[in-house]
Amino acid sequence: MPRIQVDNASVEFIVHKYQKVSFKEYVVRGLFRRSINPQVRIRALSNINLTATEGDRIGVIGHNGAGKSTLLKMLAGIYPPTQGRCTVHGRVCSLFDITLGFEPDASGWENIVYRAYLQGETPATLRSKIDAIAAFSELGEFLSLPVRNYSAGMRMRLAFSIATATEPEILLIDEVLAVGDLAFQQKARARMRELMSSSRLMVLVSHDLNTIRETCNRVIWLRRGEVVMEGPSDPVVTAYVQAMAERTKHAVQAA
Amino acid sequence: MLQHIAAVWRYRYFLLALVKLDLRQRYRRSVLGLGWSLLHPLAMTAVFTVVFSNLLGGGDPTHYAASVLASLAVWGFLRDSALQGCRTFQANEAYIRQSPLPYTIYTLRTVLGQAIHALIALSIVFVMVAIFKQEIHVALRLILLVPALLIIFVSAWAIATIAAYINVYFHDTVHLLEVGSQFLFFLTPIMYSRRILDEKDLGWLVDANPVYWMLEMVRHPLLTGELVPLEMYIHAAAFSLLVTGLALGVIAWLHKRLIFHL
Repeated sequence: MPRIQVDNASVEFIVHKYQKVSFKEYVVRGLFRRSINPQVRIRALSNINLTATEGDRIGVIGHNGAGKSTLLKMLAGIYPPTQGRCTVHGRVCSLFDITLGFEPDASGWENIVYRAYLQGETPATLRSKIDAIAAFSELGEFLSLPVRNYSAGMRMRLAFSIATATEPEILLIDEVLAVGDLAFQQKARARMRELMSSSRLMVLVSHDLNTIRETCNRVIWLRRGEVVMEGPSDPVVTAYVQAMAERTKHAVQAA
Repeated sequence: MLQHIAAVWRYRYFLLALVKLDLRQRYRRSVLGLGWSLLHPLAMTAVFTVVFSNLLGGGDPTHYAASVLASLAVWGFLRDSALQGCRTFQANEAYIRQSPLPYTIYTLRTVLGQAIHALIALSIVFVMVAIFKQEIHVALRLILLVPALLIIFVSAWAIATIAAYINVYFHDTVHLLEVGSQFLFFLTPIMYSRRILDEKDLGWLVDANPVYWMLEMVRHPLLTGELVPLEMYIHAAAFSLLVTGLALGVIAWLHKRLIFHL
């Protein structure tokens, strides 16, 4: 059974204010380095608690920089929590940053293979899927060209077609993606809806509050890495909208 | 540790597909393909043989040439594993940011590619030896190489992993390693025989050099058909265990923080 269990988890980034240190600089300035190139701690998530099981549809809302994407990446196992624990059981499909990580010199076909293997497919399971992936992307003969010659839209199509070809237990989505031209967008949206209904557990990050209200049964509202409110969709979204409205009013008055 | 190996095994198709891609790109980039990328060690060997075989090698040019080429193959493998290892995490950043695979899979990608390249160079040495000796049963010597190649491969993987982690924190690691490897190249009996150092009472310099053990473990059986003394295997295996332990330590220490520094 798919299951997400997050206990008191925090994610903290440590970055250098100016640039990375080189070894030479480190040795030469060793003792004074703090004053020259100070470290900055960024708390992207603090003390998050979350339990989700079969059937849960969780929406995450908040401003830019509130920690929504960081939360998703922590659930995907890419960011380890710096404090607390985060355990995820089940086959995860993550739909974010999907256009990253193409091998530019390899053809579209080859990239389908690499990406599918990365998602845990084997040659046997891929054989039955690869034609469907190619057909869905509608890239036709372009698939035999190196990916470096693709336009941004074509890359997006290819990435989307591969990423959504799995049967995930846990689906992690960052924003509903705007993919390609109008016709493809409709197709993509239909595929997304299909995935959302077939996956057994979903976490969706979106700014589209209507989508959240429609598809999610629980919503988490994040601000500066902290949970402001958590609960059934309607009350949380309503409270969020109210808070936003007040904030804009203050901003208008101040101006 | 076991989890790690299990994960590498689970994603073996991904790994092998990328290694294949790397090799194809390496060999396709020029008309001569495979020959072009072997040209460097072959040309070096030719130059060394013409210039130094009498001076440093003890007079037998064919033996000297085979020995130098074998040494250059192993040396090049170790050096390039470390140098390319440095760039591994940057080169695979997009994958690292996308999926939670163990990072050692990416250093393994680097090292496997280099290993296949080195094996091609070694097979040329084998052909040279077979031709000069005009005997076919030199093929038996290949079996003698197996333990050596295993030890060398594990060491290279560990070194590449350590270098990859350090380079994320100190991005000039690769330059320092380049300088260091130049230094080590001249300290190691690659183009000269160890006799020259022995005569100056500097033999300990060679005996304490892990790279020398690794070279000997490969070129000695290949050229003479005899194993090197057992203690050399033990030393080399101990060295590879040491760097593996170091690599595991580095992984345990840094793998949860690495992504925030990429």
